[in-house]
Amino acid sequence: MTLEVLGFWVLAIVLVGSALAVVTTKNLFHSVLWLALALTGTAGIFLMLNAEFLAGVQILLYAGGVVTVVVFAIVVTEKLVGTRLAHTSRRVWLGGAVAAGFLGLLMSILAGVPLPMAPIPMTEDPTRLIGTAFLTRFLLPFELLAVLLLVSLLAASYLARPEE
Amino acid sequence: MGLSAYLTLAAVVFSIGLFGVMTRRNMVGILLGIELMLNAVNINLVAFSRFHGEVAGMVLTVFAISITVAEVALGLAIVILLFRTRKTAMADHVDWLKG
Amino acid sequence: MGSPLDPFVLTVLLTPITIFLLLGLVAPLRRSGRLAAWVSIAGALTTFGAAVMVWRGVAQLGAPVRRVWTWLPEAQGALATVGFLADEQSTVMVLLVALVSLLVQVYSLGYLSDEPDPALGRYYVYQSLFAFSMLGLVLAPNLVQLFICWELVGLCSYLLIGFWYKKPSAARAAVKAFWTTKAGDVGLLIGIVLLWRHTGTFDFDEMRLLVEGGLVGLQGLSVITFCLYLGAAGKSAQFPLHVWLPDAMEGPTPVSALIHAATMVTAGVYLLTRMAFLFALTPDVLHLVAWVGAGTALMAAILACAQNDIKRVLAYSTVSQLGYMMTAIGAGFASAGFFHLLTHGIFKALLFLGAGAVIHAVGTNDITQMGGLAKRMPQTMIVFLVGTLSLAGLPLFGGFLSKEEVLAAVWAGGLTGPFVFLLTGTFLTAFYMFRVVFLTFFSQETAHAGGHGAGHGGHAPHDAPALMSVPLWVLAGAAMAIGIYFTLNHRETPFHAPGWLALVATGVALGGVLLAWLTFQRRAINAESLARATGPLRMAAAHGFWVDEGFIAVYRGVLMVLARVVGWVDRYIVDGVLNVVSAWTVSAGDGLRRVQTGKVQDYVVAVAVGVIAVVLWLRGAM
Repeated sequence: MTLEVLGFWVLAIVLVGSALAVVTTKNLFHSVLWLALALTGTAGIFLMLNAEFLAGVQILLYAGGVVTVVVFAIVVTEKLVGTRLAHTSRRVWLGGAVAAGFLGLLMSILAGVPLPMAPIPMTEDPTRLIGTAFLTRFLLPFELLAVLLLVSLLAASYLARPEE
Repeated sequence: MGLSAYLTLAAVVFSIGLFGVMTRRNMVGILLGIELMLNAVNINLVAFSRFHGEVAGMVLTVFAISITVAEVALGLAIVILLFRTRKTAMADHVDWLKG
Repeated sequence: MGSPLDPFVLTVLLTPITIFLLLGLVAPLRRSGRLAAWVSIAGALTTFGAAVMVWRGVAQLGAPVRRVWTWLPEAQGALATVGFLADEQSTVMVLLVALVSLLVQVYSLGYLSDEPDPALGRYYVYQSLFAFSMLGLVLAPNLVQLFICWELVGLCSYLLIGFWYKKPSAARAAVKAFWTTKAGDVGLLIGIVLLWRHTGTFDFDEMRLLVEGGLVGLQGLSVITFCLYLGAAGKSAQFPLHVWLPDAMEGPTPVSALIHAATMVTAGVYLLTRMAFLFALTPDVLHLVAWVGAGTALMAAILACAQNDIKRVLAYSTVSQLGYMMTAIGAGFASAGFFHLLTHGIFKALLFLGAGAVIHAVGTNDITQMGGLAKRMPQTMIVFLVGTLSLAGLPLFGGFLSKEEVLAAVWAGGLTGPFVFLLTGTFLTAFYMFRVVFLTFFSQETAHAGGHGAGHGGHAPHDAPALMSVPLWVLAGAAMAIGIYFTLNHRETPFHAPGWLALVATGVALGGVLLAWLTFQRRAINAESLARATGPLRMAAAHGFWVDEGFIAVYRGVLMVLARVVGWVDRYIVDGVLNVVSAWTVSAGDGLRRVQTGKVQDYVVAVAVGVIAVVLWLRGAM
């Protein structure tokens, strides 16, 4: 067993375990923390795939930004209601069956398709390639993304504005 | 490790996220499930990108992450708004469209 | 193609329609009343002058003047044409229509002098339209134009019967007349279309050539001629479609004189005269025409004896005389029927206008409330007597020769049954007409109700003003002139009249006069006991032989039952199916409604299951 395989399995176990914890734990706050761990695990996967830049983005934006925002939201809403948020599940068996069915479907599709076994080496450093692509091939979507972020920022602050 | 290993991992994570979306009663919990699903998609994108030597997948991942951030911000804003008006964060308490 | 007579014929046709449009479209002129009347009368005079020119012209030419313009073009030549066909028949008829129309318009000005101005203007609009339609009908060179004008005169009849439309009985009578004639017109239209399929033409001349060339198949021709006869029966008030004509007397009396005595009602007879060459091919239909005509003549004569309303007596008399004409046509001698049509048009218009003068003077239609008017209205008495003698068919008067010709034609046609009917009818005609004369002008004077209505209240009845009396004298003169002229110059007829016929006819008529004199003047015979002697016939006549009741019974018994059945089917079967389907739809919707829980996560589950199902389905299909 090579180091790569070992690392993959460790990351996979961490990722799947923390994901399961996210959807099963009774405490909402813990849920968020488990999510942070899952996102970090994903960043590890990205590292294994030679996408260092993405791993950084993942940690910064997701594990840092998103989790922080969610925690803020939880705090704010708990303050509004004045009670601790219940965090229970409903119809676990139905949801489990559908999710398992979905997984089985995906698996059966994957099993029937020939997939490459080895990565193809990049001609250059991926980060450099991403940067180049942003400013050449994907310039317009990139700019639109900026607009989207601005709009969602405004929309979020408008929706969550204090009541008059 | 072959591409199928990454795709399988992503599929598992996606299904777990789907399970969360379907079962969680708290709306913030549903949002967390959605995050998991998007993460699985990102894993897929990066894995395909790597195994095909094509950078576009990674670029799309950056897009996906950014859009997810926007989505989370908006989703949470909606949750807060619902809190104010209905005094609840339970998704199954919100059924204005019941037929 | 052109003929020197063309302008005159066109004047005949276009003057009335021009007047109609002028009066109809220029509202101030129409509302002026008397001015509109004089404009219309001037138009009628022009028409009459041109009609005289056309009549004389065609008689001198000795050949018909025909002119057609294409109306509906088609690859093999015109499908339908408009134009005129001025031959001997149509020009004489045009002369009659133009003359009576002119006289009636003049007369109406006096008769309707109490009407408000706009109503008077409206009356003359209708009159002009009627003149145009009737002349167009008479001059029509083909069945399409004839049918259009046929419907137009029906419309004018409706409008003029309902002229006093605020009177419910008049409005009802107008509708009744319209619908009854329409029932026949349906047959006419079907007949025209069938005939077109049969011969490929609408044109009279082309059709006549085909018939003469033996190119018209006899197969199915009876149905066609029967359909044409239906239209004629409706218009010319043949049993059982005669019921509208007595009710049509709700209209102003001059209208009755023009439309319901002299011109429009004879359109059916005219149509059969025009199509006689075709009817000759179907003797079975001709037999039907004769028997129905004779039956109508006798029945209407009996009915006329039982009426006390002077106009209804005349109306039934018109029905009866139309039956005479139809019988002659049915006997195969259309010329005799047509001759009677012409003389009848003159003296019946005279009788109606005379009756109008009487009604105008005494303010009632009821002959039992009149009496002794001969002293107060000598002029009216004289002209009315001329008309009565003509109608009764006494020698030297207008109706004598034509009625004798009809009887001779029926005898020559070998129709003994109808001949007996008509002879009995002659007796009754004399009887009921002289009953009217004696009760109205002679016998004792009774208290006259009103007189002139409220306008002249209190005045004793007197002769009509000049506007009304001049037309009366003209018509009386014409009736006498026709009688004397044709007594001196015998018409040539295609059949032989037996020598005893004139004597028998005159004797029978005189018998009717005598009976009327004994009953209503000398009172030698009690009218009541005479009536009782006829027993059930009298009662049947009082009820119009229950023809109206028969129609009502058909309506109630057949149509209403049918309507009930259809209504039941609609209510319980058609509606039932719809109600069941809609109930199912509602309950299905109610069930499906529950699927929409409104909860987001249920929708997520549905989407996930849906994705699985779609993918499985696609893989299965691959």
